[in-house]
Amino acid sequence: MKPPKFEYHAPKSLDEALEALGRYGGDAKVLAGGQSLMPLLNFRLARPAALVDLNRIASLAYIREQDGQIRFGAMTRQRTIEFSPVVAQRLPLLKEATRWVGHLPIRTRGTIGGSIAHADPSAEYPAVLAALEGEVVARGTKGERVIRAADLFQTYLTTNLAPDEILTEVRLPAMPAGAGYALEEFSRRHGDFAIVGIAAVVVREGQRCKLARLATAGAGPVPVRLRAAEEILEREGLGEVAIEAAARRATELVDPDADIHASADYRRHLAGVLTKRALTRAIGVARG
Amino acid sequence: MGLSLPRLVGARVARREDPRLLTGQGSYVDDHRPARMLYAAFLRSPHAHARIVRIDVSAALALPGVAAVLTGEDVARASKPVRAESKTPNVKTTSFPPLALGKVRHVGQAVVMVAAESRYVAEDAVEHIVVEYEPLAVVKDMEEALAPGSPVLHEEAGTNLLVSREFARGDVDGALTAAALVVRERFRFHRHTPVCMENRGCLAEYTTGSETLTLRSSAQCPGLVRDILTDLLDMPEHQIRVIANDVGGGFGAKASLYPEEIATCVMARRLGRPVKWIGDRREDLLATTHAWDEIVDAELGVNRDGTIVGLRAQVTADVGAYSIYPWTAAIEPVQTISFLPGPYRVPTYRGRTRGVATCKAPLGPYRGVGRPPAVFVIEGLMDRAARQLGIDPTEIRLRNFIRDEDFPYKSPSGIVWDRSSFTGSLVKAREVLDYKAARDEQARARAAGRWLGIGVASYVELTGIGSAIPVSPGMPVSTGTEAATIRFDPAGKVTAVFGVASHGQGLETTLAQIVADEVGVPIEDVRVLHGDTEVSPYGTGTYASRSLVLAGGAAILAGRAVREKMTLIAGHLLEAGPADLTLVDGRFAVRGMPDRSVTVRQVARAAYSGARQLPKGLEPGLEATKFYDPYYGTASNATHLALVEVDRATCEVKTLRYVVVEDCGRMVNPLIVDGQVHGGVAQGIGAALLEEIVYDDHGQLLSGTLMDYVVPSACEIPMMEVHHLETPSPVTLGGFRGMGEGGTIGAPAAIANAIADALAPLGIEVAELPVSPDRLFRLIGRAGGLG
Amino acid sequence: MVTVRLKVNGVAHEGRCEPRKLLVDFIREDLGLTGTHVGCEHGICGACTIMFNGEAARSCIMLAVQADGAELATVEGLMRDGKLHPLQEAFREHHGLQCGFCTPGMLMTALDFLRTNPSPSDREIREGISAVLCRCTGYQGIVNAVRAAAPILASGR
Repeated sequence: MKPPKFEYHAPKSLDEALEALGRYGGDAKVLAGGQSLMPLLNFRLARPAALVDLNRIASLAYIREQDGQIRFGAMTRQRTIEFSPVVAQRLPLLKEATRWVGHLPIRTRGTIGGSIAHADPSAEYPAVLAALEGEVVARGTKGERVIRAADLFQTYLTTNLAPDEILTEVRLPAMPAGAGYALEEFSRRHGDFAIVGIAAVVVREGQRCKLARLATAGAGPVPVRLRAAEEILEREGLGEVAIEAAARRATELVDPDADIHASADYRRHLAGVLTKRALTRAIGVARG
Repeated sequence: MGLSLPRLVGARVARREDPRLLTGQGSYVDDHRPARMLYAAFLRSPHAHARIVRIDVSAALALPGVAAVLTGEDVARASKPVRAESKTPNVKTTSFPPLALGKVRHVGQAVVMVAAESRYVAEDAVEHIVVEYEPLAVVKDMEEALAPGSPVLHEEAGTNLLVSREFARGDVDGALTAAALVVRERFRFHRHTPVCMENRGCLAEYTTGSETLTLRSSAQCPGLVRDILTDLLDMPEHQIRVIANDVGGGFGAKASLYPEEIATCVMARRLGRPVKWIGDRREDLLATTHAWDEIVDAELGVNRDGTIVGLRAQVTADVGAYSIYPWTAAIEPVQTISFLPGPYRVPTYRGRTRGVATCKAPLGPYRGVGRPPAVFVIEGLMDRAARQLGIDPTEIRLRNFIRDEDFPYKSPSGIVWDRSSFTGSLVKAREVLDYKAARDEQARARAAGRWLGIGVASYVELTGIGSAIPVSPGMPVSTGTEAATIRFDPAGKVTAVFGVASHGQGLETTLAQIVADEVGVPIEDVRVLHGDTEVSPYGTGTYASRSLVLAGGAAILAGRAVREKMTLIAGHLLEAGPADLTLVDGRFAVRGMPDRSVTVRQVARAAYSGARQLPKGLEPGLEATKFYDPYYGTASNATHLALVEVDRATCEVKTLRYVVVEDCGRMVNPLIVDGQVHGGVAQGIGAALLEEIVYDDHGQLLSGTLMDYVVPSACEIPMMEVHHLETPSPVTLGGFRGMGEGGTIGAPAAIANAIADALAPLGIEVAELPVSPDRLFRLIGRAGGLG
Repeated sequence: MVTVRLKVNGVAHEGRCEPRKLLVDFIREDLGLTGTHVGCEHGICGACTIMFNGEAARSCIMLAVQADGAELATVEGLMRDGKLHPLQEAFREHHGLQCGFCTPGMLMTALDFLRTNPSPSDREIREGISAVLCRCTGYQGIVNAVRAAAPILASGR
């Protein structure tokens, strides 16, 4: 399983990268961490005319706090995120989710930008982006634009990034102090992609739920925000009855696929189970 | 002559293999790169069943760096067809061409071979080959294969029913009709594959001039491969050398002769350059032999007290598209019915089996061969009977085990079990688990709404098989003998050479332990060579839990012969009779006169130094070659006890505790025995919960990556508690029984029974493996158990 | 063709290869260091794990050209002055290997893991080594070896 031939570019700047990308009329692929793209190349399922390797662009890896957001350069390694004090403090959901992303050696190379641009519906980072209502910055020949999570994911492995665009930054609103959070995931084996995963954020005010956010992994072609389930909590509070109702609603909101690992019915069932577990845990952690 | 007690046999000796393997100095096939070597790749069929209309390799040949391309016709001109003939009736012989001839019969079958400057170029070349196929109707499963009017895979067989066999004893129909209770079930053990961490591969070098062929192969049976290649390639046996140095796991996957090995030899011979093929993981999942794919309809008749009156079963095995050499397609289906009665007294029995061809990869041996499904079935039936009669599952087994007074016991298939510890292993397993406390814990858990279950599986396996019993019924090769050459050099160091081929089980260490004890030297002074037909005495390889018994037995015989000669020489040097000598810690001494002594080293030197040092008429030299054939074989047994919890919400199964009490006779190295149990149990747990080879209705392999064929990681396997009984085999030299396969034989049944025990209040039985969470979800949902 | 200049186990190397050449193949073929093994070529089994600038990474899903300027550590570099590394010693003592094929990847993974978690529980050890698949040992010997080696490595001996 060796890759097919391709032309290779390792630009030192973003401008160089965009220029290289533009030369191939959509037939070049960006190489970030490689943890998803390289297997596809080795299987010869991807056959780009060229690879534009972003790993030499140092300016694309950073973690900054700005305007109430934590901003990640697209090439920030998952491993860096895992051990970042800023992330631990301001985005604890992301830190928790990172521990579910593959294994440590994968996180050594895997990047936040790559994971989100790859848009695997079973991946953890897209679900977190959706749950936290984050956004990404994309730069192309026509300039720069900001894309909200809700608009970014189109279908399996497909974002609305244009072929000449590179995802340069991921922005996540800092979680409110005291926010409860949890990522519950079910997989066949530790470190595998989620069969189903639920990311939950809860902001409480006493027994009231000021804000609830729920997003899925593995329950459809894109991460799904379970808004109707969120509304149940925001309306009815944080008690067991509301949690059960939200979990039940979650099963109605997802339209999962079947594959050799799990049927649609089982995924739907898991969506409910994990919503309940995620909310219970998030509420338990929430202060306010 | 007095001998010191064994010092090394029975000891936890650290392995000789480890230093090189730990430091990356292993010698696997892919580590070799002789000058002018070419790399091979195969074009593999995208169709499950199709006629080959046309192959155009011209574009591939035109690529820079491509040396040659071979098709099925090319190979057929250079090699005889591979035909695994069986001596037993009702096993149809069919051809397995190394590269497809006329037709492809499973997705992934090798069609064209390319040799090029690099694997990268070879894969490029494969993409430039044009093959025109005429797709044929796909035979997608066993039912379809047997349905009238279905396409026949092998015209020469005239049917897809390649194997039929029956074992019977007594009037089982009468017994079941009259039985107080008959439990019946349709069991489904889905398709699995061994997944060795090292993919298969081989490197062939043909030296024109001397007309010798050297094949390095990731193989369990170098002797066997050498034997068949001489026939296929029409070359003299002493001109072929097969080497298996370090091999990264076998488990049966590497025990067969593979198309790629033959094609690589043909390519190397044609080009006069070394040719290396290293399979990738995609090829491994597509084309390495698969395993255990069976449907078993079984019935167990018992008395009110749970004692067995009869067992009746029909096994249907999906043997895939080809009959593999040398085991034949019969190996899996026939072994299942041979061993279905297990360690129990079964007065009447009928086991019928069918091996059915479909458009899937060929079935071959995988750790346990036939017994993992067989034990799943019989142990499942025992539990069903126990549940319906209200008898504790361990108790019902104790009532049925072959007892001490029954040995030797002839099983319904004709296998004779010698003295074994069936009862002892179960009694001890219950003790280790603290069975009563576990049942109490289960009761408390049930009251709290948790699904905790205890599963038991007891089994017996035939091991160390000699020439009276073929490892695979009717197979064309005799597997009942191994040999050992033990040779001292003048400095007193020992080289011990064997025909077995270790691939993880530490034979370089365990055989050295036996040799060192026999000839009285420290283990550091013994070097074990194996897995190389050039140096080995006759032998086939390592499979079927036989190496320690057969090679170990040969080592004992050769060691005794060498020691006898050493004693004669020592006696001559010490001017004493052999009966007056002792051998302790590497030193021969006259009994009662410790100062009159010579070292083993001095004796060895004397053996080579000339006439004055030797008794008159004694030939110089100090070496012996001996063959050992245990003739029948012996038995190994164990009881597994699993404690599991089924998550009520997710239907996931967690293994909380796993106990094994096993008896492999006299243990040579308990460290290695433990390791074999751990590894086998892990594969068994994987087989029960995670792993499944899945094809779609068009014969396309859906489980084609390691994400889809899920082998367990460290998080899916519990800490195992392994205890040993040592009932020396009464029939083998050394009392060794052979082991290694037990983990996969017992674990799937133990896990299945534990899950059924956990879900017994819902009336759920487990009849299908693997029990994926999805399958369990459906079972529980149907039983109304989902909250 | 591209030129790759890198350090492996402290020794400088240089080679030329196609951009598509996988790092694991470069290490094995161009550098002749065959201790790192190829198990799956899709980043699942971990047999190919090496240290890349001090952190464990899977060399079967990296390109050799990406290692230009990098410092790698492979299993061949673990021994010091002809003595086994304490982790290798522990693997030997606790039967943490059988066929040896996953072992180099397991060693490098375990080393990286222990650096991030010097005092792990058994549960954490299993999570750490779950990055590498082994078919021979059932993981028990490996867990025992890592548990035994952890305090030795932590104390810097």
